[in-house]
Amino acid sequence: MMQVNTIKLATRWLAISILGVLLLLPEPAAAQEEVASPIRRYKDREASTGYYEEYEVRPRHERPFVSIPGVREGIFPYSPTAAQVRIRTRLADSHRALKFYTRRRCEECHVAETRDIHTTRANLTCRQCHGGEPVASINHYFSPMNPIRRHAYVCAKCHEGASASYASYVVHEPSAGTFAAKQGFPILYYAYWFMLILLVGTLAFFIPHSFLVGLRELLSKKRKAEK
Amino acid sequence: MTQISRIKRFSITDRVFHLFLMLTFIIQTATGFSRLFITTGWGKKLSYVFGGYETALLIHKWVGVLMMVGFVIHTLYLLKRIDWRNPGESIFGPDSLVPNHHDIKHLWQRILWFFGLGAPPKLNRWSYWEKFDYWAVYWGLPLLAITGLMTMFPFVTSRVLPGWSLNVAVLLHRAEAILAVAYIFIVHFFIGHLRPTSFPMNEAMFTGSVPLEEAMEEKPAWVERLRAQGELEKSAAAPPVAWYRIIYYVFGYAVLISGVYLLINAIIYSRHVALH
Repeated sequence: MMQVNTIKLATRWLAISILGVLLLLPEPAAAQEEVASPIRRYKDREASTGYYEEYEVRPRHERPFVSIPGVREGIFPYSPTAAQVRIRTRLADSHRALKFYTRRRCEECHVAETRDIHTTRANLTCRQCHGGEPVASINHYFSPMNPIRRHAYVCAKCHEGASASYASYVVHEPSAGTFAAKQGFPILYYAYWFMLILLVGTLAFFIPHSFLVGLRELLSKKRKAEK
Repeated sequence: MTQISRIKRFSITDRVFHLFLMLTFIIQTATGFSRLFITTGWGKKLSYVFGGYETALLIHKWVGVLMMVGFVIHTLYLLKRIDWRNPGESIFGPDSLVPNHHDIKHLWQRILWFFGLGAPPKLNRWSYWEKFDYWAVYWGLPLLAITGLMTMFPFVTSRVLPGWSLNVAVLLHRAEAILAVAYIFIVHFFIGHLRPTSFPMNEAMFTGSVPLEEAMEEKPAWVERLRAQGELEKSAAAPPVAWYRIIYYVFGYAVLISGVYLLINAIIYSRHVALH
């Protein structure tokens, strides 16, 4: 009986000690790294993407469900091999296999992209943001335009202090009233149509109204003069 | 009883606010258009008036801030004007610019009058379109101010909102500005200057008074109300002196011509620019 009580007491003290150790000691981490997660590191303290350790090397593997705060990105839809064939925005050389590519100029194909504020006002050339040959696709890891580092490698060259969220400004935005905008940038699309309806509605009411006021007053004045 | 030729319509404060809005609005239009149309020859020349692209933008920003301050002061002035002992009468009474059911009735009567189907509406102090003119500033200016501040401080904005909200802000800012410019330089100028009873100029905003005959024709319910309340004699005002008339005619027409010039050129060059 005495032995049973001693074992019970020892077990109780052992459990309390283990609980105390668990509470007091830091949580176990692999190799006692400063921060265990490569994605969350310093994220709560910096307005950036959270990708710090890996920006000079290729990613270890595709991580389709990892997203950057404030940046809307699609989920990787195919296998990496299929993507190389089908999705140009994920190629290391976005112009791979284009015929006579070396003899062509960017604006021959990317007409609309040459007409936005950055090109028409700031006189930026394509390569200043997209990098030299081979021009990597904007979502590929080699591209300075990759959302992981776009704010630091591209935007911050002129806009000092640009954050990842800031870099989600759409430079080559679709024409606001088009179906392309409805698909790719719905808020811009609905804002455009709302303002257009407001503009047209206001003027469609008040221009004929003012014209009729003027006409009617003119007729009244004429009648008075005749009298 | 003395003969009354004019009656008071606007206080000096009202006129100062209108003058402030006239000046800031025309500066914002010119500097804003010089920026919007900078890729065209006309836009470049317009920006030279303000010292170039960057200076035009700087003026646009500071005058924008000034407009916001003016807007806040005007709102405080409005709150001060309310008679808090009798707020119902003060806010919804005939001297208030707050829309009421009479405005809908007057609009309908006006439409019938257009087509010779009825008598013109007996308007009180403020007509429905004057109320629209007034309250349009209250939706337009906050929208322009918020989107303007967003584009003025893009880094702060992108801390609170996603960066792509700046695309939407630019679109809203330009679209609202174009709406305001089109409305003021077409509808407001026509009503103020060019319709037969106002031509060559509705002087009320500069003199603060209107001819009694004109008021009886345009706002009969207002004159009747003043007469019934015994306020007509108190509202009597002297006609403006000649030198002052010359000044406000020159100034008013300078603003009008500038506005029409900006609007016509904006229409001509609109195919060269996008809203966003």
